[in-house]
Amino acid sequence: MKKWFVTGIASIFIFALAGCGEKGQEAPEAAKSEGEISEDYVYVAEYEDLKEDGYVTSNVTIGNDGQVFFSVSKEGGEMKLISRKPDGGKEEIPLELDENTYIGTIGKDMEGNLLLGLITYSGSPNEADIVPENVMVRRMAADGTVLEDTVLGKTLSNNPEFYMQTLIEDKEGYCYICTGQKVFVLKPGGELYFEVDAGGYIGNMFSIKGEKTVVANYGDMGWQMREVDLAGKTLKPLDAPIAFDYGTYQSGGEYADILYTLGTKLYAYNLGENEPAEILNWVDSDIDSGNLREFTILEDGRVAAVSVDWSSEEAKSELAVLTKKNRSEVSEKIVLTYGTTYIPYFVKTDVVAFNKQSDKYRIEIKEYGEGDKDYETMVNLWTADMSSGNGPDIIDMYYCPVGLQELVSMGVVEDLNPYLDGDAEINREDYVDSAMKAYELDGKLYAIMRCFGLSAVVGKTADVGERTSWTLDDVFALMESKGKDVELFEYTTKYNALQMMLQANGDMFVDENGTCNFQSGEFIKILEFANQFPKEVQYDPNAPSDIEKIRDGKLLLLKEEVTSVQQYQLYEAKFGEPINIIGYPTSGKSGIMLTPNGTTAAMNVNSKNKEGVWEFFQFLMTEERQENLQSANAGFPILRSALEKQFEKDMKVEYYEDTDGTQKEKPKGVWTSGVSGEVTVDVYAATQEQVDMIKQMIETAGNAEIDSKMLEIIMEEAQSYFDGQKSAEDVAALIQNRMQIYISEKR
Amino acid sequence: MKIKKLTGKPEKTGKTEKKGRKRASRRDARGRKISSVFLTPSVLGVLVFFVLPFFVVIFYSVVDNPISHQFVFFDNFKMVFHNAAFRQAASNTMKFSLIAVPLSVVLSLGLAMLLDSKMPFKSQFRTFFLTPMMVPIASIVLIWQVLFHYNGMVNDITALFGAGKIDWLKSDHAQVVIIVLFLWKNLGYNMILFMAALSSIPKDILEVAVLESAKQWQIFVYIKIRYLSSTLLFVTIMSLINSFKVFREIYLLTDDYPYPTVYMMQHFMNNTFSNLDYQRLSAAAIMMSIVMVVIIGILFLAENHFGRDVEG
Repeated sequence: MKKWFVTGIASIFIFALAGCGEKGQEAPEAAKSEGEISEDYVYVAEYEDLKEDGYVTSNVTIGNDGQVFFSVSKEGGEMKLISRKPDGGKEEIPLELDENTYIGTIGKDMEGNLLLGLITYSGSPNEADIVPENVMVRRMAADGTVLEDTVLGKTLSNNPEFYMQTLIEDKEGYCYICTGQKVFVLKPGGELYFEVDAGGYIGNMFSIKGEKTVVANYGDMGWQMREVDLAGKTLKPLDAPIAFDYGTYQSGGEYADILYTLGTKLYAYNLGENEPAEILNWVDSDIDSGNLREFTILEDGRVAAVSVDWSSEEAKSELAVLTKKNRSEVSEKIVLTYGTTYIPYFVKTDVVAFNKQSDKYRIEIKEYGEGDKDYETMVNLWTADMSSGNGPDIIDMYYCPVGLQELVSMGVVEDLNPYLDGDAEINREDYVDSAMKAYELDGKLYAIMRCFGLSAVVGKTADVGERTSWTLDDVFALMESKGKDVELFEYTTKYNALQMMLQANGDMFVDENGTCNFQSGEFIKILEFANQFPKEVQYDPNAPSDIEKIRDGKLLLLKEEVTSVQQYQLYEAKFGEPINIIGYPTSGKSGIMLTPNGTTAAMNVNSKNKEGVWEFFQFLMTEERQENLQSANAGFPILRSALEKQFEKDMKVEYYEDTDGTQKEKPKGVWTSGVSGEVTVDVYAATQEQVDMIKQMIETAGNAEIDSKMLEIIMEEAQSYFDGQKSAEDVAALIQNRMQIYISEKR
Repeated sequence: MKIKKLTGKPEKTGKTEKKGRKRASRRDARGRKISSVFLTPSVLGVLVFFVLPFFVVIFYSVVDNPISHQFVFFDNFKMVFHNAAFRQAASNTMKFSLIAVPLSVVLSLGLAMLLDSKMPFKSQFRTFFLTPMMVPIASIVLIWQVLFHYNGMVNDITALFGAGKIDWLKSDHAQVVIIVLFLWKNLGYNMILFMAALSSIPKDILEVAVLESAKQWQIFVYIKIRYLSSTLLFVTIMSLINSFKVFREIYLLTDDYPYPTVYMMQHFMNNTFSNLDYQRLSAAAIMMSIVMVVIIGILFLAENHFGRDVEG
């Protein structure tokens, strides 16, 4: 009897416990809570090139039925409006535009008609100093029939820099035009109702079911979402219980109130809900979320997205239609993981590009900092994964929370030399030596970088001379030759100066046997140099800009990260006279530091797919990938031939024909500097001298030579010298003692 | 000493006795089973949290790193032994223990004897010496920083007498400061232990010694020390352990890479752990535990030698 009673009780417990696992009704498939994307299915993308030969895609919008409307333009200004039907066919929509009139933006009204924002300029794009003369909103049926033209004249376009970013119409017929920082609201008849300044560049403007128009931009308190208040003629905070972060926000159409991309994921959100629904991870579908221009959820549940990739010579516009499929239906590739604490844009781009071209492997990114984790939690997670042997196949070194030395001590990173030596297609000598040595330790190569920048100092040749390196004595001499009110560097504290000098000179004070030499005259000189800077600096918005200071002779040098030959011309424009790019003061070295500027990664020694990881590294090092870096300032490629091609491209003079038929040199790009773009320079072909200078910098560049702990100890002790409590010699002796312990411990 | 159970029942004979024995042995077996069931969680806990990590540490100490697990035999031990920082840490820790532990034992014994005598305000003094035990480490460190910082009170006071400033925690004086801190924190607890031991010395023996005209030092050496030997051993071991634990205070006062004279073994351990250098950490931990076992073994031998005639 007792046994039966016990068995009965046990059964009740078991059933009760089994019931605990049930979560109730499952959430809708495409609307699971944050972080709950199911592993069972995947969005498979079908891509279609939206390219029109000889044209560049400029504006795009997607209809709910999947019909894509986009405008393309030629260099001379000729424009076409194209419709890509849901079944795949493309056709040109007849478009009659007045002379010098261009499509500024494409929007949709509530009936699904197109709204074209048209701007008429005073001349052709090839002419200088053209200004907008007329603005018009054209309502147009999908077949090209013009339904209405609303002429706005010059009402909105007083500013010569005027452009139209977004055009929206709400349910009541009010029209909203976003022009960068301002929103213009037009009454249903086209009359200007009011304009409102968002106080900063508007990232996105979108409509919530035609009832609310929302603008998203950075404000004083971070990223903000505000709705246009028609009654108050102002912007008021959007009433939502969740906080939004920097991302790409769009109308959710019928599917949701807001559809947005944050990091690598697509979310849907309805106002009033406590959390967004995670739809998909763009990287899983081989889409770089950084290139997304427009995305929407179609009536049949598929996701349509248009992206523009600027990484190659010509911008590539692509439509991707994503269909949800069971993982089992999709041909399986071997999955590699790329582990990082934060996903930089270049990693996304490289991973997506690799996934698209590899038949065997696909990389998934594991972001340790995902979900607003604090730094310590993130590092603990990362460390636990690494030390337990469950780390990712590829370890990101750009945002790695520990130094290379620690990784090597842990035994977590693989020596890449055997792979490099055994690779028939890659020859080590073809790559920039200092870039290949940046992650070398005791003769073993632990990481590969795709491209790099150069950390250096820019000054007038009249001040710096034409030398290629200099010492602290040279800098002291320069400072002495100037007045007391002349700054060496702008907004630089004692600590900034000390850090900068230690990064360039750190290796001077520890020899190969691990003996420290911080009591040397050189180190004391560095302390004295740093002590000449202020202890604290506060940014003064009313103070003269760096450019004004330079030109008035009140500022001598700029600390810069050189990532392109084109920057040389920007510096020349800033300084207004010949310049010299030189390293930080050192004794006998160039003082120029080589820093990674793109995907930089190591191979996990525990990876089960080391061949796949090496294939990714090979991919990063290929000629094709090296020759097509993301943008003009993406950095210098590590492949010497790609670097030479880049220099040739930088030096090649290109021409265009002016309206009067004369050949004029075409600018290679526009570089701006200063908070409000005080210096805007049309960059033309570089000279041989400029290229030679950059080449020399690359050849002589070294790596930052001090680790964070050493810096921490030095900074801590230097404080008492900067406070005037101890002498530089006493502080140097203290640093020597503490540093010797640190260095000895690591050996 | 065997204790015989007295049940008060008449003794059984013949078959009844056999049956009774069988039943008793069955009951014993059942009792053992039940107790082993109750013991299992504790045994498992000890195995998982103490025994297993112990073997893991041994394993880590003989492999090149926790990932590739390549057997390197004693390489890690050699590397650690030849490491200048390890040697410095070992030497500092040894120096500190050699000075602080005897001082702590002698001073607390002296204080206990003082408070054992007929002196006024005994309980107030006792409370005074016990107070540091109640202060949290963070507060102790704060007090010490206020006192011994470069701009602290001690330098302010010495400045009144025309002395120059001393960076107490970042100079050769640092170990003195730490010893004072250690004594301040530990004297009270040790003193209480000695006072309890002193009160348990049989009064009749002391009275006989006095009647036999024994001098005070003779009573102290030949009677009190003998009876205090187990407490002395306990206090010494506890002080030794506490001397290793002084790292907490040093770490909070001077961070992970302090002035060389206060760089302790635990700094080395902590830093190698932070640097994810588990193999060297394990080797150092094993070396340190061997030294500790030897020292504690010596102390046990000494206790056996001096206290054998007063134990039952």
